[in-house]
Amino acid sequence: MNARFARAGFVALFAAAGLCAAGAARAADWRSDAAGSSLGFVATFEGNAVAGTFRQFDVRLRLDASGAAPGSLDVLVTVTSADMKIADVNREIRGKPWFDYAGFPAAEFHSTDVHRVQGDAFVARGTLLLKGVRQPVEVPFTWNESGNGATLQGELTLQRGAFGIGTGEWAAADVIGADVKVRYAVRLVRAG
Amino acid sequence: MLRNTATNWGSVAKALHWSMAVLILAQLVLGVLAVGWRMSPTKLDLFVWHKSLGMLLLVAVLLRITWRWVNPTPALPPELPAWERAAARIGHALLYVLMLVLPLTGWLLNSAAAIPLRVFWLVPLPPLIAPDEALGDTLARVHDAAALLLVVLLVLHVAAALRHHWVRRNVVLSRMLPGRHA
Repeated sequence: MNARFARAGFVALFAAAGLCAAGAARAADWRSDAAGSSLGFVATFEGNAVAGTFRQFDVRLRLDASGAAPGSLDVLVTVTSADMKIADVNREIRGKPWFDYAGFPAAEFHSTDVHRVQGDAFVARGTLLLKGVRQPVEVPFTWNESGNGATLQGELTLQRGAFGIGTGEWAAADVIGADVKVRYAVRLVRAG
Repeated sequence: MLRNTATNWGSVAKALHWSMAVLILAQLVLGVLAVGWRMSPTKLDLFVWHKSLGMLLLVAVLLRITWRWVNPTPALPPELPAWERAAARIGHALLYVLMLVLPLTGWLLNSAAAIPLRVFWLVPLPPLIAPDEALGDTLARVHDAAALLLVVLLVLHVAAALRHHWVRRNVVLSRMLPGRHA
C-alpha cells in the first residue's frame, strides 16, 4: 500500500514539475518601459477630435506567445497624470464631473484571460476599474517580440458614460462625444 | 443699383453695412454671455457661436473693405464743419480697424489657448500661432479692450447718424437706409 501511494505521489510530483517547466518555458513575464510607451485617448469636443495622454502608467504582462496557455495583464494608470494639452481643459477634467482626481486618482485593468486570436493578434478580457466603476473590457493588441523587448499596441473604444465621466448636463453626447478612443503602444522588457 | 455713386450708397454697401450691424450687435451679446456663463455645455456652444460669427464677420469686413476700395464713397454734405469731417473720417477708420482687430485677436487668442474650432461646427479653423497660455491671456485682454472701444465708437456712430438726421437734417443717415436714395 505504502509503496503504491509513494509511487502515485512521485508521478503526481513529476507531472506537476513537468507542467511547471512547460509553463515557465512558454509564458514570459514583462513590464512596461515608461520611456518607450504611450497611453493616449481621443475625445471629441464640439465636433473636434481632442487627444490626451496619461503620462504615468504601468503594465505587467504574462504572455504565452504561442497562445497555448492563458496569460495575464495588469495595468495601473495614474489618472491624475492626464494631459489634454489645452490648459482650460486640463483644469476642467480634474473636477468631479470628469475624472475627479481627488476621489479616483488611479484606474486599473486586470485580466487573467489573455489569449491569442490569430497570428500576432491577442485579446485580454478583463475588468476596468475607472472612477470607481468596474466594467468588463476587452483589450485587443498586436504583439511583437524582438530580442529582449516587445511591443504591445492597439486601440479600443470606451463609452465615457459607462464610467460616469462627464456627469449631469455633460452626460449628453452632443457637445462632448460619448465615445472615447483609447490608444496604447507599450514597450515592454522582460521582468525578472 | 449695386454700386455706390458720388452721392449714394449702392445696395451692396447697404447690405454689408446693415447685415454687419446686426451681426456685430449679436456678436457683442454672445461674447459677454459666453464669458459670463458658468462652465456648461451651453457655455461651450455660446463660444462656438461667438467664434463662428467672428470668422463670418472677418470675411464680411474684408469684402466690405474691398468693395469700398473699388467704389466711390458718397461725399459728406458740403456744409459740414472741418472738425465733423475729421471726426467722421477718424471714427470710420477706427471702426474698420476694430472690425479687423476683433476677429483677428479672437482667432489668435483661440490659437494661443490651443482650443480646436470648427466654424459653425463644420469648417476646421487652423491655429495662427503655437499654444501659449500667457500670450493667450494677454490677447484676451486686448480683445476685451477692443470690444469695449467698439461699443463706445458704435454709440458715437449711432449718435452722430441721428444728429445728422434730426439736428443737421441732412441725408447722411437716410441715404444708408434700405431702398432710399438721397
